[in-house]
Amino acid sequence: MEVTIKIFRYNPEKDQRGNYVTYKVEAHENDRVLDVLEYIKGKIDGALSFRRSCAHGVCGSDAMRINGRNMLACKVLIRDVGANITVEPILGLPIKKDLIVDMEPFFDNYKKVLPYFINDSPLPADGRERLQSPEERARFDETTKCILCAACTTSCPSYWANGEYYGPAAIVNAHRFIFDSRDEAADQRLQILAETDGIARCHTAYNCTEACPREIKVTKAIGEVKMAIMTGKLD
Amino acid sequence: MGLKRDVSLSAGLRYRGPAAYLTYILHRIGGLGMGIFIAVHILASFVGGRFGGILNGIYENWAFQIFIFFCALFHAINGLRITILDLFPKLLDYHVEAIWIEWAVFIPLFGVSVFVIVSTALGG
Repeated sequence: MEVTIKIFRYNPEKDQRGNYVTYKVEAHENDRVLDVLEYIKGKIDGALSFRRSCAHGVCGSDAMRINGRNMLACKVLIRDVGANITVEPILGLPIKKDLIVDMEPFFDNYKKVLPYFINDSPLPADGRERLQSPEERARFDETTKCILCAACTTSCPSYWANGEYYGPAAIVNAHRFIFDSRDEAADQRLQILAETDGIARCHTAYNCTEACPREIKVTKAIGEVKMAIMTGKLD
Repeated sequence: MGLKRDVSLSAGLRYRGPAAYLTYILHRIGGLGMGIFIAVHILASFVGGRFGGILNGIYENWAFQIFIFFCALFHAINGLRITILDLFPKLLDYHVEAIWIEWAVFIPLFGVSVFVIVSTALGG
């Protein structure tokens, strides 16, 4: 089938602003959008720039707006988006070139919520591992799936309006440690998220939940963190 | 070098979000509409005279009343949905159903109200 694909292009060395370039290419309906982009880069226009790495929905490099919605280009089939496709960079982050955005502000916000295991208590008597029941592990299972692709954060209207907002991805990763029974810094993280640029900026638009390629219930995770802040309890 | 992060209103509105994104947008329009109504109301009382009369004419107009009623009713029902889901995060699994319920409550209430407003306005 013939696919008409309109791609946002921006060259910082030449352009004052971005523009769209349309390509017509042959593709199979089971091809992914990433395959079409690879074809254009390889055969038509080598200057086209986009991020990709694993190409299997694991690394989260190729988050972009496809037909107006955040998706991973490697997970979307042509048959799911049709023969007329518009590909644009994700919103809310500075654009460096074509579909490549500067991820630094995203990772700066991510780092603010202490997204790592904190436990300064001595190890158990056997000196080996800190045990956890399957139920305790299941409590935060959902939020361990995040691949930091930024599809959720850059679909959030609160983040579009204010880049200081930590954003859904940071809160999801805070949730992963807040509800980990082995971690001891939940209070510290809840305090951080209770600040002005934290949880209060979530206005439940659900764009994040819809955009997540790992199908994490992002808004639910944010809701649980909100409740933990309100009640001071983690159950 | 690069393009700034600015997200224009039109780019935001063109984002193809889920049904909840539409309610998010309508909630903001509702809040703004009520703000305009209160501003016009206060201004009309404060200014008085001919200009006050013109302002009174705006908010007493039945088309404006339908708009304001839409704003107030939608804002209230949507706010209630958000509050309930905020207080009971487990219900967030059913957020899509919650939106259907919201429309199921809103549409008949708004429909009846529009009928009453219009029939009163046109019937004298």
